[in-house]
Amino acid sequence: MNPLGTLIYLRRNASRTLPLMGVIVLAVLLICAIVSLINSIPLSVKTIYKYTSLMMGVTPRGEADRTPQIKRIIENECPVPIGRLALCRASSTEVQALVGKWQFVVIAFDRPDLEYVLKRMGTTSLVGRLPEVGRPEAVISEPVSRNLKLKLGDILLGPDRQDAYSPQNVKVVGIAKTANWFMFADREYYTANHFPPIDFILVTAKNPARQAEMDRWALRRFKGDRTQVISYLEIERQANEMFKTLYKILDVVIGILVVVITLMMGMLINIYLGQRTHEFALLQALGYSTKALVIRVIKETALVVMGGWLLGVMCSIAMLNVVDHWLMYPNAYALDITDRTALAYTIPVPIAIFSAALLTLWTRFRRFDPVGVVERRLV
Amino acid sequence: MDKVSAIRPGRRCGTEVGVISAVGASLVYRDHEREVFACSSVDIEVVPGEFLGILGPSGSGKSSLLYLLSGLKMPTSGSITFEGQDLHQLNDAQRAETRLTSFGFVFQYPYLLGYLNALENVMVARPESDFREQAKALLVSLGLESKLGRLPHELSGGERQRVCVARALLGKPKVIFADEPTANLDHANGIQVVQLLNQHRGDGSLVMVTHDPSMLAEADRIVRLEDGHLAP
Ligand SMILES: Nc1ncnc2c1ncn2[C@@H]1O[C@H](COP(=O)(O)OP(=O)(O)OP(=O)(O)O)[C@@H](O)[C@H]1O
Ligand SMILES: [Mg+2]
Repeated sequence: MNPLGTLIYLRRNASRTLPLMGVIVLAVLLICAIVSLINSIPLSVKTIYKYTSLMMGVTPRGEADRTPQIKRIIENECPVPIGRLALCRASSTEVQALVGKWQFVVIAFDRPDLEYVLKRMGTTSLVGRLPEVGRPEAVISEPVSRNLKLKLGDILLGPDRQDAYSPQNVKVVGIAKTANWFMFADREYYTANHFPPIDFILVTAKNPARQAEMDRWALRRFKGDRTQVISYLEIERQANEMFKTLYKILDVVIGILVVVITLMMGMLINIYLGQRTHEFALLQALGYSTKALVIRVIKETALVVMGGWLLGVMCSIAMLNVVDHWLMYPNAYALDITDRTALAYTIPVPIAIFSAALLTLWTRFRRFDPVGVVERRLV
Repeated sequence: MDKVSAIRPGRRCGTEVGVISAVGASLVYRDHEREVFACSSVDIEVVPGEFLGILGPSGSGKSSLLYLLSGLKMPTSGSITFEGQDLHQLNDAQRAETRLTSFGFVFQYPYLLGYLNALENVMVARPESDFREQAKALLVSLGLESKLGRLPHELSGGERQRVCVARALLGKPKVIFADEPTANLDHANGIQVVQLLNQHRGDGSLVMVTHDPSMLAEADRIVRLEDGHLAP
């Protein structure tokens, strides 16, 4: 066993090396937490409105009687084979996101359309039943029930609810098992009770893989018309646009964080090397070249830095799992626990700290006089 | 100045009998624009196997001379040769290698690495595992057999200096340099350290610097330094 082996120093001076590692672990944890949290916002948008990627909505703006015309255009001109075209009604409500309440729609279908759409949404099983024709009843998906804490028999919409209004109490009668978010009700009840009296159109591509193609066609075809096309394509584009600034801010914040941590670690490493001046002087006097000593310290530093980073990554993954299990999943908040970008953001930490360590090493050993130390003239 | 150091080694190359020779070696420190001659034009040879004592009052340049002879400092002028090789002409790594394999050091203050035990501290001088048994044997013969596993802070000052002695002796170096190895010890312990160094050095030379003549009772030869000059 070589008494100057890399691990021996680190192990026997754990009270010095572990705090250094600890700082790196905390830095990685912090960055990972910030990035995953920020990432969860656009991810929430995409998760919550994912159902729009399975069907496209087209609605007239203002003129209720334009719906048949729009329907004809789609049926006659759409180049993508149509799976189904349904007329529906809708009312607005809200879901709970990590950053506050977000708009959501309750869509009311005729019974045959409802059955089709449920299948289209990937429903594997249904607890309860479907809404009865003309009755104030709704079927919601499982993530929605988790998010709004709704069980069978609970009230989804009601006359005294500002943000989820319906003239009568609309009860949840069915919960559909699927990852998509939706709330569906009966069209006859809506036609009789809800304002505005506008039918809008939901169209699906026969082949779900061609839905985006259909969306693109509709966006082009109805451009400039008094018609609104609601598609996942558009939602995704808007989300990406909206969060561009947020990501710029994130980059700056992480950048500053890395600089601050690096400066701090640079100073810590400098102190830490300072405490080892006697060791270096003695070894140099006994016959170890500067190069050999520098290589030894670089190995130790690399081990501390890489070890700290790896430990940080493991802690981060553990933390994300814990947060997901206790906070995110129960509320159906979106969180990607295998988020690579969050980990990628932490890579500058070990690189910057290692560079800072090299710099302090270089300044220390550039003009190092072992005699001065051994003679007790210095330190 | 540089011219002198460049010419001198060639002139005497191959003729010296000493394991180490200093020819016209000077060491000048610059102290606020004023030059301090720690050693001036010292000519000295260390004969193989001898115990050479260097005696002199404080500030006379004893340590400086020792650092010159051991290649820890480069002479401002003049040359130092080890086995015919000018130390000045070696690069940092080669000089270090020479110190590690051919020289042993005992300093005034018993420097040990705090996180290594006595045996490991001795092994620092030659970390290859082939030297482990020799390191153990040295510590045993220096009366430290029950303390191989102790950390430096668990040893007394004299014991620490004995560990340093073992470290200097490990690998049977050709020259052992000792700079006031007894200064931090009481007289009896000091004498003992010198005796141990002398007994265990084998064929190696021992160059010891001190201001205490009684430490040099066993020395083969004693030279005196005064103000950086060798006294006649
Ligand atoms: N780094 C330095 N800068 C300036 N002057 C120095 C330096 N090192 C030593 N000196 C001077 O050189 C002279 C010789 O110093 P040296 O350490 O060799 O003396 P010494 O004989 O070992 O003394 P002591 O017995 O006290 O250890 C002294 O006058 C000292 O002040
Ligand atoms: Mg001295």
